[in-house]
Amino acid sequence: MKFSKIILLIVIAFTFNNCDHFFEFSVYEANVIREHKNTTAKNLELLKNVTTNSDDFKFAFITDVHYYYDDLKTIVDDINKRDDIKFVVFGGDIADQALLKEYEIFYDIMTTLKKPYLTVIGNHDYNSNGAFIYKQMFGDYNYSFEFNNNKFVVFDNIYLESDNEVDFDWLSSALSDNANYNQVFSFAHIPTISDDITPEMQENYTSIMLDNNVALSVHGHTHSYSYEPGVVSYLIIPTVKDIAYGIISVQKDTFNVELIELK
Amino acid sequence: MKFKNILIVPIILLVFVKSFAQEKDSIQDKSWYTPDYVKMQFAGNIGFLSVGAGYQLFNDVLYTELLYGFVPKSISRAENIHLITLKNTFPLFRKKIGKELTLIPIAGIAVTYDVGSTTFTTLPDKFPEGYYFPTAFHATVYAGAMVHHEFKNKSLFKGADYYLEVGTVESYLWYAVVNESVTFKNVFSTSVGVNFYL
Repeated sequence: MKFSKIILLIVIAFTFNNCDHFFEFSVYEANVIREHKNTTAKNLELLKNVTTNSDDFKFAFITDVHYYYDDLKTIVDDINKRDDIKFVVFGGDIADQALLKEYEIFYDIMTTLKKPYLTVIGNHDYNSNGAFIYKQMFGDYNYSFEFNNNKFVVFDNIYLESDNEVDFDWLSSALSDNANYNQVFSFAHIPTISDDITPEMQENYTSIMLDNNVALSVHGHTHSYSYEPGVVSYLIIPTVKDIAYGIISVQKDTFNVELIELK
Repeated sequence: MKFKNILIVPIILLVFVKSFAQEKDSIQDKSWYTPDYVKMQFAGNIGFLSVGAGYQLFNDVLYTELLYGFVPKSISRAENIHLITLKNTFPLFRKKIGKELTLIPIAGIAVTYDVGSTTFTTLPDKFPEGYYFPTAFHATVYAGAMVHHEFKNKSLFKGADYYLEVGTVESYLWYAVVNESVTFKNVFSTSVGVNFYL
């Protein structure tokens, strides 16, 4: 009896000290803990305390982590070293199978980022109970915010995985006050050049961008780099797996894009 | 399904299987399909509570079990989760630690199928070929310790196994192995259970 007691005590002590969750019931659980909730709102609050002395500032764009967590950590550490980056936008595919565990690992790594961050929902984030988890952990799929008299619009353009219609009316109305801002930036996971959205959606999106004087539209999803300057410029940033991210330097009425490759 | 209803399932199962087995006892022979034991498990990524029956195969070197696991909405926060699990446990060795007690370190693998609308086994037609890997199947690996208790009074059950396991899911294990930033403490969790021998 003594021997078994010792073994059981060791196992129990080991797990009590070491497990994030002592008991887990299913990979499909969607029980987002209280501290992880409303991350978007919390970060927008943090962003209010970020100040700049001029019209010029920079923000970073990271996208498509799937399960390349070490590469995400490398990027986060690199951004932490730079004082000029004011905030970070994460372009979607936060998870791969959209399991709560994946969302939690992402969340934990992003807590080491010393800047506010905002997220776009990606197609992978909709798998299984992912849409529900995203809503709990981050918040709305479509939202907008402003920084230093620039407007930023975050748009959910996922339709194959989603039960919701892609809400172009929301996008138009969110951009309708564009004249009040120095510049307007738009983010959506799937780029207009991808076949994973329909030609009608591509057309709808590009015409809304044009009608509302959007300066730059930033995307992920393809895992490759692309930049097409124009009246509306289109930027696609490669996946976290490539240990790459984008920096957008905003000036009063123009901007520059830069791809940082850490590989 | 109310939470307490899930407790009724194993009780009915136990009574049913037991009465069935007793009938067999009267002719002093157990049919090949009569399970060796019935069981109940708490946690372990196969349900909040799982119930099922199992066989000891190949001269007791493999415990193979079929379980139904359930996670009520109040715990999953999403819809009710229903899981069917095929669980295979290997006893590593047996050490007698008392008159009626045997300690058995165990390790094993379970395969779980999600009976739900949010997962799929074959990719729906709307997606391009190979766009997603099937989401309805997951495997769980675990190791732990089991204590077998041989009952003196065998009128209801001949004996019982009480076990505690530490385990994880195949995807989680993969993430922890390939990423330094994902530690074993992020992915391992505990389960406890009991087997009652018929």
